[in-house]
Amino acid sequence: MLKGAAGVGAAGLAASALASVALPAAAATRTPVRTKQGPSSENAGGEAIVVHVRDAASGEIDVFRGTTQIRLHDRDLAARLVRASR
Amino acid sequence: MSSHREAPEISKDPVADSTDLYAFVSPDKPETVTIIANYIPLQSAAGGPNFYEFGDDVIYDIRIDNFGNSKWDITYQFQFSTVLGNPETFLYNTGPITSLTSSSWNRKQVYTVTRIDSTGEHVLGKNLACPPCNIGPLSTPDYATKLAQPAVHTLSDGSKVFAGQRAEGFYVDLGSIFDLGNLRPFQNLNVFGKADGFSSAPGVNATKLLNVHSIAIQVPIGRLTRKGRPTIGVWTAANRQRARIHDPQTGRVVTSGPFEQVSRLGNPLVNEVIIAMGDKDRWNALQPHKDSQFTHYFANPELAGLLPVLYPGVFPHLAALVASKKPRADLEAILLTGIPSGIIPNFSNFTGTVQADMLRLNTSIPPSKSPNILGVLGGDLAGFPNGRRVFDDVVTVEVRAVAGVTYPLIDPKFTPDAAAGEVSDGLTPSSLGMPFLDEFPYLGVPFDGYHDPSS
Repeated sequence: MLKGAAGVGAAGLAASALASVALPAAAATRTPVRTKQGPSSENAGGEAIVVHVRDAASGEIDVFRGTTQIRLHDRDLAARLVRASR
Repeated sequence: MSSHREAPEISKDPVADSTDLYAFVSPDKPETVTIIANYIPLQSAAGGPNFYEFGDDVIYDIRIDNFGNSKWDITYQFQFSTVLGNPETFLYNTGPITSLTSSSWNRKQVYTVTRIDSTGEHVLGKNLACPPCNIGPLSTPDYATKLAQPAVHTLSDGSKVFAGQRAEGFYVDLGSIFDLGNLRPFQNLNVFGKADGFSSAPGVNATKLLNVHSIAIQVPIGRLTRKGRPTIGVWTAANRQRARIHDPQTGRVVTSGPFEQVSRLGNPLVNEVIIAMGDKDRWNALQPHKDSQFTHYFANPELAGLLPVLYPGVFPHLAALVASKKPRADLEAILLTGIPSGIIPNFSNFTGTVQADMLRLNTSIPPSKSPNILGVLGGDLAGFPNGRRVFDDVVTVEVRAVAGVTYPLIDPKFTPDAAAGEVSDGLTPSSLGMPFLDEFPYLGVPFDGYHDPSS
Protein backbone atom coordinates (compact mmCIF):
# COMPACT_ATOMS: atom_id res chain seq x y z
CA MET A 1 0.00 0.00 0.00
CA LEU A 2 2.70 2.48 1.01
CA LYS A 3 4.84 1.74 -2.00
CA GLY A 4 1.89 2.34 -4.28
CA ALA A 5 1.00 5.54 -2.49
CA ALA A 6 4.51 6.89 -2.84
CA GLY A 7 4.31 6.28 -6.55
CA VAL A 8 1.53 8.82 -6.92
CA GLY A 9 3.13 11.41 -4.72
CA ALA A 10 1.34 10.61 -1.49
CA ALA A 11 2.82 9.56 1.81
CA GLY A 12 2.02 6.89 4.34
CA LEU A 13 3.12 7.47 7.90
CA ALA A 14 2.92 5.44 11.06
CA ALA A 15 1.58 6.71 14.35
CA SER A 16 4.86 8.09 15.60
CA ALA A 17 5.06 10.48 12.66
CA LEU A 18 1.46 11.54 13.05
CA ALA A 19 2.05 12.37 16.70
CA SER A 20 4.07 15.41 15.72
CA VAL A 21 1.20 16.81 13.68
CA ALA A 22 -1.82 18.29 15.42
CA LEU A 23 -5.13 17.32 13.84
CA PRO A 24 -6.97 20.54 13.01
CA ALA A 25 -10.41 19.69 14.26
CA ALA A 26 -12.27 22.47 12.54
CA ALA A 27 -10.52 22.39 9.19
CA ALA A 28 -10.81 18.67 8.53
CA THR A 29 -13.85 17.01 7.04
CA ARG A 30 -14.24 13.58 8.54
CA THR A 31 -16.02 10.70 6.89
CA PRO A 32 -16.30 7.42 8.76
CA VAL A 33 -15.77 4.93 5.98
CA ARG A 34 -16.66 1.84 7.90
CA THR A 35 -16.97 0.74 11.45
CA LYS A 36 -15.74 -2.60 12.67
CA GLN A 37 -17.12 -5.53 10.78
CA GLY A 38 -17.06 -8.15 13.48
CA PRO A 39 -16.37 -8.46 17.18
CA SER A 40 -13.31 -6.56 18.28
CA SER A 41 -10.14 -8.59 18.26
CA GLU A 42 -7.53 -8.09 20.92
CA ASN A 43 -5.21 -10.10 18.68
CA ALA A 44 -5.67 -8.11 15.53
CA GLY A 45 -3.57 -5.03 15.71
CA GLY A 46 -3.97 -3.41 19.12
CA GLU A 47 -4.06 0.34 18.92
CA ALA A 48 -1.63 0.96 16.09
CA ILE A 49 -2.54 4.05 14.08
CA VAL A 50 -1.73 4.10 10.39
CA VAL A 51 -2.13 7.19 8.25
CA HIS A 52 -2.40 6.92 4.49
CA VAL A 53 -2.33 10.10 2.46
CA ARG A 54 -4.32 8.91 -0.51
CA ASP A 55 -4.10 12.14 -2.46
CA ALA A 56 -2.00 14.99 -1.20
CA ALA A 57 -3.47 17.43 -3.72
CA SER A 58 -7.06 16.97 -2.57
CA GLY A 59 -6.11 16.36 1.06
CA GLU A 60 -7.69 12.91 1.18
CA ILE A 61 -6.25 11.04 4.15
CA ASP A 62 -7.25 7.69 5.66
CA VAL A 63 -6.57 7.15 9.34
CA PHE A 64 -6.70 3.54 10.55
CA ARG A 65 -6.99 2.80 14.24
CA GLY A 66 -8.07 -0.40 15.92
CA THR A 67 -10.79 -1.77 13.67
CA THR A 68 -11.96 1.58 12.35
CA GLN A 69 -11.08 3.88 9.51
CA ILE A 70 -11.69 7.61 9.28
CA ARG A 71 -11.32 9.53 6.02
CA LEU A 72 -10.17 13.10 6.37
CA HIS A 73 -10.29 15.83 3.72
CA ASP A 74 -7.63 18.29 4.81
CA ARG A 75 -5.21 19.75 2.29
CA ASP A 76 -3.16 21.53 4.93
CA LEU A 77 -2.63 18.43 7.01
CA ALA A 78 -1.81 16.39 3.91
CA ALA A 79 0.77 18.96 2.86
CA ARG A 80 2.34 18.99 6.31
CA LEU A 81 2.52 15.19 6.36
CA VAL A 82 4.14 15.15 2.96
CA ARG A 83 6.70 17.72 4.14
CA ALA A 84 7.31 15.77 7.33
CA SER A 85 7.93 12.59 5.38
CA ARG A 86 10.78 14.08 3.37
CA MET B 1 -7.49 -26.63 -7.54
CA SER B 2 -10.86 -26.37 -5.90
CA SER B 3 -9.75 -22.99 -4.68
CA HIS B 4 -6.17 -23.54 -3.59
CA ARG B 5 -3.94 -20.66 -4.69
CA GLU B 6 -6.64 -19.75 -7.20
CA ALA B 7 -6.01 -16.01 -7.48
CA PRO B 8 -2.78 -14.02 -7.76
CA GLU B 9 -3.08 -12.08 -4.50
CA ILE B 10 -4.40 -14.82 -2.23
CA SER B 11 -1.79 -17.27 -3.53
CA LYS B 12 0.71 -15.13 -1.60
CA ASP B 13 -1.33 -15.35 1.61
CA PRO B 14 -1.98 -19.04 2.37
CA VAL B 15 -3.19 -18.42 5.92
CA ALA B 16 -6.21 -16.58 4.49
CA ASP B 17 -6.58 -18.77 1.39
CA SER B 18 -9.85 -20.70 1.47
CA THR B 19 -9.34 -23.98 -0.35
CA ASP B 20 -12.53 -26.01 -0.07
CA LEU B 21 -15.99 -25.65 1.38
CA TYR B 22 -18.30 -28.51 2.27
CA ALA B 23 -21.93 -28.41 3.44
CA PHE B 24 -24.07 -31.49 3.89
CA VAL B 25 -26.72 -33.04 6.07
CA SER B 26 -24.66 -35.03 8.55
CA PRO B 27 -24.96 -38.72 7.64
CA ASP B 28 -24.76 -39.91 11.26
CA LYS B 29 -26.83 -37.03 12.69
CA PRO B 30 -29.36 -36.17 9.99
CA GLU B 31 -31.01 -33.53 12.18
CA THR B 32 -27.85 -31.44 11.72
CA VAL B 33 -25.88 -29.80 8.93
CA THR B 34 -22.09 -29.95 8.85
CA ILE B 35 -20.15 -27.14 7.24
CA ILE B 36 -16.39 -27.37 6.76
CA ALA B 37 -14.23 -24.50 5.50
CA ASN B 38 -10.64 -25.37 4.68
CA TYR B 39 -7.69 -22.97 4.67
CA ILE B 40 -3.87 -23.07 4.28
CA PRO B 41 -3.37 -25.27 1.21
CA LEU B 42 -0.85 -27.92 0.26
CA GLN B 43 0.69 -28.57 3.67
CA SER B 44 3.61 -30.95 3.71
CA ALA B 45 3.27 -32.95 6.91
CA ALA B 46 6.95 -32.40 7.76
CA GLY B 47 6.72 -28.62 7.44
CA GLY B 48 8.41 -27.66 10.71
CA PRO B 49 9.71 -26.23 12.90
CA ASN B 50 7.00 -23.63 12.43
CA PHE B 51 4.13 -25.91 11.73
CA TYR B 52 0.94 -24.63 10.15
CA GLU B 53 -1.58 -22.57 12.12
CA PHE B 54 -4.50 -20.23 11.54
CA GLY B 55 -3.82 -16.50 11.32
CA ASP B 56 -4.28 -14.56 14.55
CA ASP B 57 -4.75 -11.51 12.35
CA VAL B 58 -7.44 -13.07 10.16
CA ILE B 59 -11.17 -13.30 10.86
CA TYR B 60 -12.62 -16.46 9.33
CA ASP B 61 -16.31 -16.49 8.49
CA ILE B 62 -18.83 -19.13 7.53
CA ARG B 63 -21.82 -17.27 6.12
CA ILE B 64 -25.31 -18.51 5.49
CA ASP B 65 -28.12 -17.02 3.43
CA ASN B 66 -31.47 -18.52 4.40
CA PHE B 67 -33.69 -15.81 2.92
CA GLY B 68 -32.82 -16.18 -0.74
CA ASN B 69 -31.29 -12.78 -1.43
CA SER B 70 -27.71 -14.06 -1.43
CA LYS B 71 -26.79 -11.85 1.53
CA TRP B 72 -25.77 -13.45 4.79
CA ASP B 73 -28.34 -13.87 7.54
CA ILE B 74 -26.12 -15.91 9.83
CA THR B 75 -22.37 -15.70 10.20
CA TYR B 76 -20.20 -17.96 12.32
CA GLN B 77 -17.01 -16.07 13.03
CA PHE B 78 -13.75 -17.68 14.15
CA GLN B 79 -10.86 -15.73 15.68
CA PHE B 80 -7.64 -17.41 16.71
CA SER B 81 -4.96 -16.61 19.26
CA THR B 82 -1.55 -18.21 19.49
CA VAL B 83 -0.06 -18.92 22.90
CA LEU B 84 3.73 -19.29 23.03
CA GLY B 85 4.85 -21.15 26.12
CA ASN B 86 8.62 -20.75 25.98
CA PRO B 87 10.14 -18.16 23.65
CA GLU B 88 13.67 -19.39 24.52
CA THR B 89 13.46 -22.53 22.37
CA PHE B 90 13.13 -23.02 18.63
CA LEU B 91 11.09 -26.15 19.18
CA TYR B 92 7.38 -26.57 18.50
CA ASN B 93 7.39 -29.20 21.22
CA THR B 94 9.99 -30.17 23.81
CA GLY B 95 8.68 -33.67 24.38
CA PRO B 96 5.70 -35.86 23.52
CA ILE B 97 2.42 -33.95 23.28
CA THR B 98 0.06 -36.26 25.10
CA SER B 99 -2.90 -33.93 25.63
CA LEU B 100 -4.22 -30.53 24.55
CA THR B 101 -2.81 -29.06 27.78
CA SER B 102 0.58 -30.74 27.55
CA SER B 103 3.35 -28.48 28.87
CA SER B 104 5.75 -29.87 26.28
CA TRP B 105 3.63 -28.37 23.49
CA ASN B 106 5.21 -24.97 23.09
CA ARG B 107 2.98 -23.24 20.57
CA LYS B 108 -0.72 -23.71 21.12
CA GLN B 109 -3.66 -22.04 19.42
CA VAL B 110 -7.11 -21.29 20.86
CA TYR B 111 -10.12 -19.64 19.30
CA THR B 112 -13.43 -17.91 19.85
CA VAL B 113 -16.63 -18.75 17.97
CA THR B 114 -19.21 -15.99 17.55
CA ARG B 115 -22.58 -16.34 15.86
CA ILE B 116 -23.94 -13.17 14.31
CA ASP B 117 -27.58 -13.10 13.28
CA SER B 118 -30.60 -10.81 13.40
CA THR B 119 -30.60 -10.97 17.19
CA GLY B 120 -27.01 -9.76 17.55
CA GLU B 121 -23.58 -11.17 18.27
CA HIS B 122 -23.43 -14.28 20.43
CA VAL B 123 -20.17 -15.74 21.66
CA LEU B 124 -20.74 -19.49 21.59
CA GLY B 125 -17.33 -20.55 22.82
CA LYS B 126 -14.05 -19.02 24.03
CA ASN B 127 -10.53 -20.37 24.52
CA LEU B 128 -11.37 -23.48 22.53
CA ALA B 129 -8.26 -25.54 21.89
CA CYS B 130 -7.02 -26.47 18.44
CA PRO B 131 -5.10 -29.75 18.20
CA PRO B 132 -1.40 -29.58 17.37
CA CYS B 133 -0.23 -30.43 13.90
CA ASN B 134 0.52 -34.11 13.47
CA ILE B 135 4.30 -34.19 13.87
CA GLY B 136 5.14 -37.86 14.21
CA PRO B 137 4.81 -40.88 16.48
CA LEU B 138 7.21 -39.54 19.11
CA SER B 139 5.87 -35.99 19.28
CA THR B 140 2.16 -36.61 18.77
CA PRO B 141 1.41 -40.17 19.89
CA ASP B 142 -2.21 -41.30 19.84
CA TYR B 143 -2.99 -38.30 17.66
CA ALA B 144 -6.55 -39.27 16.75
CA THR B 145 -7.76 -40.19 20.22
CA LYS B 146 -5.69 -38.01 22.56
CA LEU B 147 -5.32 -34.85 20.49
CA ALA B 148 -7.83 -34.62 17.63
CA GLN B 149 -10.92 -36.06 19.29
CA PRO B 150 -10.62 -33.87 22.42
CA ALA B 151 -10.44 -30.87 20.08
CA VAL B 152 -14.07 -31.44 19.10
CA HIS B 153 -15.94 -28.99 21.33
CA THR B 154 -19.59 -28.48 22.14
CA LEU B 155 -20.67 -24.85 21.92
CA SER B 156 -23.08 -23.12 24.24
CA ASP B 157 -25.97 -23.64 21.77
CA GLY B 158 -25.25 -27.35 21.45
CA SER B 159 -23.47 -27.13 18.11
CA LYS B 160 -20.16 -28.94 17.63
CA VAL B 161 -16.98 -27.33 16.41
CA PHE B 162 -13.48 -28.34 15.41
CA ALA B 163 -10.64 -26.20 14.10
CA GLY B 164 -7.28 -27.65 13.21
CA GLN B 165 -5.24 -29.78 10.87
CA ARG B 166 -6.86 -32.50 8.78
CA ALA B 167 -5.86 -34.69 5.86
CA GLU B 168 -6.68 -33.05 2.54
CA GLY B 169 -9.98 -34.40 1.23
CA PHE B 170 -9.98 -32.86 -2.23
CA TYR B 171 -8.49 -35.03 -4.95
CA VAL B 172 -7.38 -33.78 -8.35
CA ASP B 173 -4.74 -34.55 -10.95
CA LEU B 174 -3.26 -31.07 -10.99
CA GLY B 175 -0.10 -32.16 -12.73
CA SER B 176 -2.01 -33.20 -15.82
CA ILE B 177 -4.79 -30.61 -15.78
CA PHE B 178 -2.43 -27.67 -15.74
CA ASP B 179 -0.20 -29.28 -18.35
CA LEU B 180 -2.42 -28.09 -21.19
CA GLY B 181 -5.50 -29.95 -19.98
CA ASN B 182 -3.86 -33.27 -20.59
CA LEU B 183 -6.21 -35.52 -18.59
CA ARG B 184 -4.18 -38.69 -18.23
CA PRO B 185 -6.97 -41.20 -18.99
CA PHE B 186 -7.59 -39.34 -22.26
CA GLN B 187 -4.13 -37.99 -23.04
CA ASN B 188 -3.97 -40.15 -26.16
CA LEU B 189 -6.72 -37.86 -27.49
CA ASN B 190 -5.22 -34.56 -26.30
CA VAL B 191 -3.83 -32.61 -29.23
CA PHE B 192 -0.44 -32.22 -27.55
CA GLY B 193 -0.41 -35.61 -25.83
CA LYS B 194 -1.26 -37.34 -29.07
CA ALA B 195 1.56 -35.53 -30.86
CA ASP B 196 3.96 -36.71 -28.16
CA GLY B 197 2.73 -40.29 -28.40
CA PHE B 198 1.14 -40.43 -24.95
CA SER B 199 -1.18 -43.33 -24.23
CA SER B 200 -4.05 -43.46 -21.76
CA ALA B 201 -2.92 -43.64 -18.14
CA PRO B 202 -4.50 -43.58 -14.67
CA GLY B 203 -4.87 -40.24 -12.89
CA VAL B 204 -2.32 -39.18 -10.27
CA ASN B 205 -3.61 -37.32 -7.22
CA ALA B 206 -1.58 -34.17 -6.61
CA THR B 207 -2.94 -33.70 -3.08
CA LYS B 208 -2.05 -37.16 -1.81
CA LEU B 209 -0.28 -37.11 1.57
CA LEU B 210 -0.95 -33.40 2.06
CA ASN B 211 -2.78 -31.71 4.91
CA VAL B 212 -5.01 -28.68 5.29
CA HIS B 213 -6.52 -26.68 8.15
CA SER B 214 -10.25 -27.11 8.68
CA ILE B 215 -12.88 -25.07 10.46
CA ALA B 216 -15.82 -27.42 10.94
CA ILE B 217 -19.14 -26.79 12.61
CA GLN B 218 -22.15 -29.06 13.05
CA VAL B 219 -25.40 -27.20 13.66
CA PRO B 220 -29.02 -28.34 14.12
CA ILE B 221 -30.83 -27.71 10.84
CA GLY B 222 -33.39 -25.51 12.55
CA ARG B 223 -30.64 -23.11 13.63
CA LEU B 224 -29.77 -22.45 9.98
CA THR B 225 -33.04 -22.49 8.05
CA ARG B 226 -36.21 -20.41 7.99
CA LYS B 227 -39.64 -21.95 8.16
CA GLY B 228 -40.70 -23.10 4.71
CA ARG B 229 -37.22 -22.48 3.26
CA PRO B 230 -35.15 -25.66 3.56
CA THR B 231 -32.44 -24.50 1.14
CA ILE B 232 -29.53 -22.48 2.43
CA GLY B 233 -26.71 -20.76 0.57
CA VAL B 234 -23.28 -21.11 2.19
CA TRP B 235 -19.90 -19.53 1.61
CA THR B 236 -16.75 -18.93 3.59
CA ALA B 237 -14.71 -15.76 3.73
CA ALA B 238 -11.42 -14.63 5.26
CA ASN B 239 -10.93 -11.04 6.30
CA ARG B 240 -7.83 -8.98 7.00
CA GLN B 241 -7.40 -5.47 8.35
CA ARG B 242 -6.87 -2.88 5.65
CA ALA B 243 -3.58 -1.43 6.89
CA ARG B 244 -0.49 -3.60 7.33
CA ILE B 245 2.96 -2.27 8.13
CA HIS B 246 6.13 -4.26 8.67
CA ASP B 247 7.82 -3.20 11.89
CA PRO B 248 11.57 -3.73 11.50
CA GLN B 249 12.12 -3.42 15.25
CA THR B 250 10.11 -6.56 15.97
CA GLY B 251 10.24 -8.14 12.54
CA ARG B 252 6.48 -8.45 12.68
CA VAL B 253 3.54 -6.97 10.85
CA VAL B 254 1.37 -4.34 12.57
CA THR B 255 -2.24 -4.27 11.42
CA SER B 256 -4.95 -1.69 11.80
CA GLY B 257 -8.29 -0.61 10.40
CA PRO B 258 -11.50 -2.37 9.43
CA PHE B 259 -11.50 -5.98 8.37
CA GLU B 260 -12.08 -6.50 4.66
CA GLN B 261 -12.67 -9.70 2.75
CA VAL B 262 -9.60 -11.09 0.99
CA SER B 263 -10.84 -14.57 0.11
CA ARG B 264 -14.17 -16.29 -0.42
CA LEU B 265 -15.42 -19.64 -1.56
CA GLY B 266 -18.82 -21.09 -2.37
CA ASN B 267 -18.89 -23.66 -5.17
CA PRO B 268 -15.64 -25.47 -5.92
CA LEU B 269 -13.53 -24.38 -8.87
CA VAL B 270 -15.46 -21.18 -9.64
CA ASN B 271 -12.69 -18.67 -9.04
CA GLU B 272 -10.24 -21.33 -10.16
CA VAL B 273 -11.43 -22.05 -13.68
CA ILE B 274 -14.50 -19.90 -14.38
CA ILE B 275 -13.33 -16.41 -13.43
CA ALA B 276 -10.56 -14.95 -15.62
CA MET B 277 -7.17 -13.95 -14.24
CA GLY B 278 -7.83 -10.24 -14.44
CA ASP B 279 -10.92 -10.48 -12.21
CA LYS B 280 -9.88 -13.13 -9.68
CA ASP B 281 -8.57 -10.79 -6.97
CA ARG B 282 -11.59 -8.49 -7.22
CA TRP B 283 -13.92 -11.48 -7.14
CA ASN B 284 -12.32 -12.57 -3.88
CA ALA B 285 -13.04 -9.15 -2.36
CA LEU B 286 -16.70 -8.96 -3.37
CA GLN B 287 -19.83 -10.28 -1.72
CA PRO B 288 -21.69 -13.02 -3.61
CA HIS B 289 -24.79 -10.92 -4.21
CA LYS B 290 -22.69 -8.80 -6.57
CA ASP B 291 -21.78 -11.73 -8.80
CA SER B 292 -24.13 -10.82 -11.66
CA GLN B 293 -21.28 -8.74 -13.10
CA PHE B 294 -19.43 -12.01 -13.69
CA THR B 295 -22.32 -13.83 -15.37
CA HIS B 296 -20.59 -13.85 -18.76
CA TYR B 297 -17.91 -16.15 -17.38
CA PHE B 298 -20.58 -18.69 -16.48
CA ALA B 299 -22.68 -18.18 -19.60
CA ASN B 300 -19.74 -18.75 -21.94
CA PRO B 301 -16.99 -20.43 -19.93
CA GLU B 302 -13.51 -20.46 -21.37
CA LEU B 303 -13.09 -24.14 -20.53
CA ALA B 304 -16.04 -25.11 -22.75
CA GLY B 305 -14.24 -23.53 -25.67
CA LEU B 306 -10.94 -25.17 -24.80
CA LEU B 307 -12.15 -28.77 -24.63
CA PRO B 308 -12.94 -29.12 -28.36
CA VAL B 309 -9.61 -27.49 -29.19
CA LEU B 310 -7.57 -29.66 -26.83
CA TYR B 311 -9.42 -32.82 -27.86
CA PRO B 312 -10.04 -32.43 -31.60
CA GLY B 313 -13.05 -34.37 -32.88
CA VAL B 314 -14.01 -35.58 -29.41
CA PHE B 315 -16.51 -32.86 -28.52
CA PRO B 316 -18.24 -31.88 -31.79
CA HIS B 317 -21.60 -31.12 -30.16
CA LEU B 318 -19.95 -29.00 -27.52
CA ALA B 319 -18.01 -27.17 -30.22
CA ALA B 320 -21.26 -26.36 -32.01
CA LEU B 321 -22.83 -25.17 -28.78
CA VAL B 322 -19.87 -22.92 -28.07
CA ALA B 323 -19.97 -21.57 -31.63
CA SER B 324 -23.66 -20.75 -31.23
CA LYS B 325 -22.78 -18.48 -28.30
CA LYS B 326 -25.94 -19.59 -26.53
CA PRO B 327 -25.61 -18.82 -22.84
CA ARG B 328 -25.02 -21.82 -20.63
CA ALA B 329 -28.13 -21.41 -18.54
CA ASP B 330 -27.46 -24.88 -17.11
CA LEU B 331 -24.21 -23.72 -15.53
CA GLU B 332 -25.76 -20.45 -14.39
CA ALA B 333 -28.47 -22.42 -12.59
CA ILE B 334 -26.12 -24.95 -11.04
CA LEU B 335 -23.60 -22.39 -9.80
CA LEU B 336 -25.42 -19.06 -9.47
CA THR B 337 -29.07 -19.59 -8.53
CA GLY B 338 -29.55 -23.24 -7.71
CA ILE B 339 -31.68 -25.61 -9.75
CA PRO B 340 -35.39 -24.74 -9.77
CA SER B 341 -38.04 -27.37 -9.17
CA GLY B 342 -39.38 -29.16 -12.23
CA ILE B 343 -35.98 -29.65 -13.85
CA ILE B 344 -34.78 -32.72 -11.96
CA PRO B 345 -37.48 -34.99 -10.47
CA ASN B 346 -37.93 -34.51 -6.71
CA PHE B 347 -35.13 -31.99 -6.51
CA SER B 348 -34.58 -28.28 -6.15
CA ASN B 349 -31.94 -26.16 -4.47
CA PHE B 350 -33.06 -22.87 -5.96
CA THR B 351 -32.51 -19.94 -3.61
CA GLY B 352 -33.87 -17.11 -5.75
CA THR B 353 -33.12 -15.11 -8.83
CA VAL B 354 -30.13 -13.22 -7.41
CA GLN B 355 -27.10 -14.67 -9.13
CA ALA B 356 -24.46 -15.49 -6.55
CA ASP B 357 -21.80 -18.11 -6.09
CA MET B 358 -22.98 -19.95 -3.00
CA LEU B 359 -22.92 -23.63 -2.14
CA ARG B 360 -26.64 -24.41 -2.00
CA LEU B 361 -27.90 -27.16 0.25
CA ASN B 362 -31.49 -28.36 0.37
CA THR B 363 -31.56 -29.59 3.95
CA SER B 364 -34.83 -31.47 3.44
CA ILE B 365 -33.06 -34.11 1.35
CA PRO B 366 -31.78 -36.79 3.73
CA PRO B 367 -28.31 -38.30 3.50
CA SER B 368 -27.99 -41.02 0.89
CA LYS B 369 -27.75 -44.62 2.02
CA SER B 370 -25.81 -45.41 -1.14
CA PRO B 371 -23.77 -42.30 -1.90
CA ASN B 372 -22.51 -41.69 -5.41
CA ILE B 373 -19.38 -39.54 -5.67
CA LEU B 374 -20.88 -37.88 -8.74
CA GLY B 375 -23.73 -36.54 -6.60
CA VAL B 376 -26.80 -35.34 -8.49
CA LEU B 377 -25.11 -36.23 -11.79
CA GLY B 378 -24.94 -39.80 -10.53
CA GLY B 379 -28.55 -39.82 -9.34
CA ASP B 380 -27.64 -39.09 -5.71
CA LEU B 381 -29.62 -36.00 -4.74
CA ALA B 382 -27.76 -35.65 -1.41
CA GLY B 383 -24.49 -34.83 -3.14
CA PHE B 384 -22.92 -31.98 -5.07
CA PRO B 385 -24.27 -29.59 -6.28
CA ASN B 386 -26.79 -30.10 -3.51
CA GLY B 387 -24.21 -28.91 -1.02
CA ARG B 388 -20.98 -30.85 -1.13
CA ARG B 389 -19.83 -33.89 0.81
CA VAL B 390 -16.20 -34.56 1.63
CA PHE B 391 -15.93 -37.40 -0.87
CA ASP B 392 -17.80 -35.86 -3.82
CA ASP B 393 -15.82 -35.89 -7.09
CA VAL B 394 -16.42 -32.24 -7.89
CA VAL B 395 -13.72 -32.13 -10.57
CA THR B 396 -15.41 -34.77 -12.68
CA VAL B 397 -18.88 -33.33 -12.06
CA GLU B 398 -17.88 -29.84 -13.12
CA VAL B 399 -15.77 -30.92 -16.11
CA ARG B 400 -18.64 -33.03 -17.40
CA ALA B 401 -21.12 -30.24 -16.79
CA VAL B 402 -18.96 -27.76 -18.68
CA ALA B 403 -18.52 -30.38 -21.43
CA GLY B 404 -22.26 -30.23 -21.96
CA VAL B 405 -23.71 -33.14 -20.06
CA THR B 406 -26.08 -30.85 -18.12
CA TYR B 407 -27.13 -28.67 -21.06
CA PRO B 408 -30.15 -30.90 -21.86
CA LEU B 409 -31.63 -29.72 -18.56
CA ILE B 410 -32.44 -26.46 -20.29
CA ASP B 411 -32.50 -27.67 -23.93
CA PRO B 412 -33.79 -31.25 -24.30
CA LYS B 413 -32.97 -31.17 -28.01
CA PHE B 414 -29.25 -30.99 -27.25
CA THR B 415 -27.40 -34.29 -27.33
CA PRO B 416 -24.17 -34.23 -25.33
CA ASP B 417 -21.08 -35.76 -26.85
CA ALA B 418 -20.44 -39.32 -25.69
CA ALA B 419 -17.16 -38.13 -24.22
CA ALA B 420 -18.93 -35.55 -22.05
CA GLY B 421 -20.28 -38.36 -19.91
CA GLU B 422 -16.91 -40.05 -19.67
CA VAL B 423 -14.38 -37.27 -19.24
CA SER B 424 -12.61 -37.28 -15.87
CA ASP B 425 -9.19 -36.89 -14.32
CA GLY B 426 -9.48 -40.52 -13.34
CA LEU B 427 -9.44 -40.25 -9.54
CA THR B 428 -11.59 -41.46 -6.66
CA PRO B 429 -11.43 -40.85 -2.88
CA SER B 430 -9.10 -43.83 -2.62
CA SER B 431 -6.53 -41.62 -4.36
CA LEU B 432 -6.15 -39.66 -1.11
CA GLY B 433 -4.39 -42.35 0.89
CA MET B 434 -6.30 -41.53 4.08
CA PRO B 435 -9.89 -42.60 4.80
CA PHE B 436 -12.59 -40.14 5.74
CA LEU B 437 -14.15 -40.44 9.18
CA ASP B 438 -17.70 -41.66 9.72
CA GLU B 439 -18.31 -38.88 12.23
CA PHE B 440 -17.60 -35.22 12.77
CA PRO B 441 -15.33 -33.66 11.52
CA TYR B 442 -15.39 -36.30 8.74
CA LEU B 443 -12.09 -35.28 7.08
CA GLY B 444 -9.36 -37.78 7.81
CA VAL B 445 -6.61 -37.76 10.43
CA PRO B 446 -3.77 -35.58 9.13
CA PHE B 447 -0.66 -37.22 7.77
CA ASP B 448 2.33 -37.00 10.10
CA GLY B 449 5.73 -35.79 9.04
CA TYR B 450 7.62 -38.87 10.17
CA HIS B 451 5.70 -41.41 8.12
CA ASP B 452 4.81 -39.14 5.20
CA PRO B 453 7.48 -36.44 5.02
CA SER B 454 6.77 -35.63 1.38
CA SER B 455 4.01 -36.16 -1.10
